Amino acid sequence: MIGYTVSLQRRLETNRLRGLITPFVSIVAALIVAGVFLIWEGFSPVTVYQDLFEASFTSRSAIADSLTIAIPLTLTGLAAAIAFRMNLFNIGAEGQLYLGAIASSWAGIALAPDLPGVFAVLVVLIAGALGGALWALPAGIFKVRFGTSEIISTLMLTFVALFLMRYLVFGSHSYWRDPNSPTFPQGRKIDSSAELGTFGDTRLHWGIAVALLAVVVIWGLVRFTSTGFNMNVVGSSAAAARYAGIRSGRVITGALVISGALAGLAGATEIAGRAHGLDPDGLALNLGFTGIVVAALARYNPFGVVVVAVFMGGLRNAGPALQISGDRVPPEVSLMLQGAILLFAIGGEVFTRNRLVISRRTSGEVAVTQ
Amino acid sequence: MNEWAIVITLAASVVAAVPIALGALGELLSEKAGVLNLGLEGMMLIGAVTAAQVGDGTGNIWLALAFGGLAGAAFSAIHAFLSVTLRANQIVSGLALTIFGTGLATFIGKSIEGEPIPTKFTAVRFGALAEIPLVGPMLFEQDPIVYATIIAAFGIRFYLRNTRAGLSLRSVGESPATADSMGISVGAIRYVHVMLGGLLAGFAGSYLVLSRVNWAQEGTTAGIGWIALALVVFASWGPLRVLLGAFLFGFARNANFWLQRELSDTDFEVPPEFLSMLPYLLTIIVLVVLGSRDWRRAGAPASLGVPFVRDER
Repeated sequence: MIGYTVSLQRRLETNRLRGLITPFVSIVAALIVAGVFLIWEGFSPVTVYQDLFEASFTSRSAIADSLTIAIPLTLTGLAAAIAFRMNLFNIGAEGQLYLGAIASSWAGIALAPDLPGVFAVLVVLIAGALGGALWALPAGIFKVRFGTSEIISTLMLTFVALFLMRYLVFGSHSYWRDPNSPTFPQGRKIDSSAELGTFGDTRLHWGIAVALLAVVVIWGLVRFTSTGFNMNVVGSSAAAARYAGIRSGRVITGALVISGALAGLAGATEIAGRAHGLDPDGLALNLGFTGIVVAALARYNPFGVVVVAVFMGGLRNAGPALQISGDRVPPEVSLMLQGAILLFAIGGEVFTRNRLVISRRTSGEVAVTQ
Repeated sequence: MNEWAIVITLAASVVAAVPIALGALGELLSEKAGVLNLGLEGMMLIGAVTAAQVGDGTGNIWLALAFGGLAGAAFSAIHAFLSVTLRANQIVSGLALTIFGTGLATFIGKSIEGEPIPTKFTAVRFGALAEIPLVGPMLFEQDPIVYATIIAAFGIRFYLRNTRAGLSLRSVGESPATADSMGISVGAIRYVHVMLGGLLAGFAGSYLVLSRVNWAQEGTTAGIGWIALALVVFASWGPLRVLLGAFLFGFARNANFWLQRELSDTDFEVPPEFLSMLPYLLTIIVLVVLGSRDWRRAGAPASLGVPFVRDER
């Protein structure tokens, strides 16, 4: 039988240029696909994309808002990157972020009033990181001790965290709930000393420095420390790690805890910089889930995470901004576009590493072994 | 004891269980082929918005259901292409599918948000059987999709255990290299079952808008896709256990109503949020207990999430 087979072959050489072109091709392809749906619904793609760009990246306040969303996305992106690059699929950054928000708002209410300025902020951030780490720890222990898949356990814990957060504000008169809000429950505000300052009259806050610092620290950890080396070894080969005498269990649990701490830190910057109190609806924005995608598009590179987070921040910001700007464009376009870009980028990523080979198949084909 | 509260709760739990069960059964088929699909929530929303639009336009409930299912299947093909043909990371691809699905569905559904769908399923009554206290209204006075879901679970169990195609499917999920050497087309089987999963997810979403709620953007599914995903693990990849688990999850979503009546005379109070947490905590506990040291003993396909590359090794 003669026919054609289509197969993927790994490229022998890596081409940096191709790696840079792929994201742009993905974006253009996604704009075209989303454009088809826009025309179908009776919108002009050109107008929509113009408004979208203006809403996220042209004015001073628009850029500030996009960067504000990029802060938690950078941190959750880092959280996913550090775990995913060693094949640990922590998909529960969402829940770890909630726990970070719960812990940091507690610290902001209970501890901050007695602390001088900088320390108040510091304690709130540390509490957030600890909260997130605590929520990732069981997943690490279960994986190492019982072989439980971290994909499932981290996802399950996310839902537990969501309901816990809702319970604390909507379902009870807990410490977190503002006692002066009997009819419309809302979170109690943290002490003003624990708030992260904003830049001028914009909403952009100093969390951006926290996020960038975290990027440098994680890069340094992975690149220069023995911990980072051990993580690389465990991630690429369990057998090699065993021969090298690395205690894989500790490294795995440690990586998940660091990942959780970063997601928790994202929750803390949201509390200290933006929400100023536990706001279940305002925090459940899928920042954790989006972080996974940010990390994947950045190919798990800490600096790449920043770039992608700013881009995604702009896209996310465009949604609400479009709502305000009038009815020319439905804000749902922003989410649709995000999804389309992601799908194309995932597909495109494959082509930077592989090439498509179409070959003639003959009857006695034998698989070539490398 | 107030009997009607429990009767209503049980019957409502069954209805709530249907989309969870359908979604989970679809995911089970996909995972049995070795493909984890985190796009379940997105596929359900695509199915739901399609069914809502077709139902709104034609007024024909079966047409709406059919198109909802087909839309889910077509949408899942994206994941199949990315994860099977291009061997992309299944977790990332599935999440992207959910994000894209949510965005696309809310965009298409914008114009019909909150509008009542003119057509709904009507209950089929099994005569005297429906008179049985407690179980009667729960099992013998439901709409056709409830029965179809139960039949589907038994059908999938039979398919997996007793048919040759089911055996091929399981071999692809357990050891694709072995299946490949036996002449089974790993890629084709994975495509088919990912898309069957999409079909069932599409039905699940359609059922939501055609049975209870109107199209309410993301609120239509309200995270049911994620619950279904958890349920597959909770049920350790068994179709009948999926059915039972879906009922438990459905009950957990409806039990507040009943519990609050039951406990209204006492001081004892269960916050609804803790009740909602229960299925997720149970899933973790089940995994830890069942999967001690060896996840496979819990029934997970050995090659779940691993792309198949013929050339390597």
